[in-house]
Amino acid sequence: MRKKILTAFLFLAFSAFGESDSQWVLEQCTLTYHVSHPLHQSEGVSHAARGKGVCHAGQCDFLIAVAVKSFDSGDSNRDLHMIQVTRGAQFPMVTVRTRLPEAASASATIHADLEIQFAGQTAQYKQVAFELVTHGNETRISGTIPAALSDFKIDPPSLLAIPVKNEMPVRVDMTWRPQ
Amino acid sequence: MLRKASRNWRSGVLGLMFAYLLLTLAPCLSAQTAAAGALTGKVSDASGGVVANATVTATSVDSGQARTATTGADGIYKFDMLPPGNYRVKFEAAGFKVMEIPSTAVDENKTAVLDWKLEASEPTAGAPTPASRDNLPNAPSSSTKAPSLEDLGFTPAQTQGSVQDQARLDKRTHMLKIHQRLGLITLAPLAATFILSANAGGKNTSTTDRTTHMVLGAVSGDLYFMTAYYAIRAPKIPGTETRGPIRLHKALAWIHGPGMILTPILGAIAYNQKNNGEKVHGIASAHGPVAVVTGAAFGLAVLSVSVKF
Repeated sequence: MRKKILTAFLFLAFSAFGESDSQWVLEQCTLTYHVSHPLHQSEGVSHAARGKGVCHAGQCDFLIAVAVKSFDSGDSNRDLHMIQVTRGAQFPMVTVRTRLPEAASASATIHADLEIQFAGQTAQYKQVAFELVTHGNETRISGTIPAALSDFKIDPPSLLAIPVKNEMPVRVDMTWRPQ
Repeated sequence: MLRKASRNWRSGVLGLMFAYLLLTLAPCLSAQTAAAGALTGKVSDASGGVVANATVTATSVDSGQARTATTGADGIYKFDMLPPGNYRVKFEAAGFKVMEIPSTAVDENKTAVLDWKLEASEPTAGAPTPASRDNLPNAPSSSTKAPSLEDLGFTPAQTQGSVQDQARLDKRTHMLKIHQRLGLITLAPLAATFILSANAGGKNTSTTDRTTHMVLGAVSGDLYFMTAYYAIRAPKIPGTETRGPIRLHKALAWIHGPGMILTPILGAIAYNQKNNGEKVHGIASAHGPVAVVTGAAFGLAVLSVSVKF
């Protein structure tokens, strides 16, 4: 009987501990967008994203934000055109929000509902798959967001009168650690 | 002989002036005849009451040009003679939150209607910050505990956009698009000039061949300088380091730019020598080589930003 009470106490204590507020911090992040054109295959990379996750009652709210102008495609002219076409001077930040159960950090794969604000528009992506690999204190998350220019009402830029493809997948590689 | 050459020269110059006027005036004439649209609507509060003296700003998504209107006593605003396109529309009124519609379409010869209901502002709140706009009602993470941009260490200066900067970028892109198109158009008369140069500079050439070559060269030159104008006058973006193929594109301008000035000067001397029955000699004999280098540099400049090497 005493053993049962002790077990129940420990279970409650751990449950209470699990529901207490905790936070995750984005340690490293590489975001890569890919744009296709018959004459060009372009990629723009940013390492400037910042992120934070706040956990409460078993749910974690994550926010990742990055400046539009931080993406570098290796061509300053193309980068300026991208900022212009994505209205990056007027809406300088890209933000990604998601809510995940705290227990998801133990999974090998997660499917997240993302809300992305970009170019003055908000788009939602359902059940985007990400792979998780945990090394010690750090959790590496990688996946591809199937973004499209039309999701954000962006007119496809054109070169030699040929527009780029509407699809603009964004590769995500992030390393998170609990705070 | 001299009179004939002079007549040919005059007809060439007249042809050139006509082509120049056609090219210069055509966009203006088409712009003047383009049909315009209009945008109107009624601004009201949450209870449906009209809001007078509200400021409504319509900014063209394409050109960045902005126009402002004020609602009358009936809460109605109107923009006449708007160029067709997409517009961002911002509503501002004392005691109400600033609201902005990212895009509304205005079509040719039509009046788009955009009625808007303003929300009363919080007593202590000013204009909404990007962070507060992030907490949308439908956001999956709308919890009050959700992190904000300030939590991530972004300053308001980093997160707040600038309509003026966007307008500058829009203008830059607009001018560079014209630069690109004119550059491609210039290739056509330039190529024709090169092809006809065989008939203009050989031993058995006619005055007509030389004049055709000269006129085509002059048209190429005019188009070239119009192309250059749009690149030179495009707004510069401060703090931008030039990287990538655009560096080669800009560097080549130092070759084809002076070449485009030198080539017609040398060409005019060669033209006169030929018309006088002389063999092309002296500095004029450099006309061909200079033109080849100039044309090659120009072609490479086009390729440098068109094809990924």
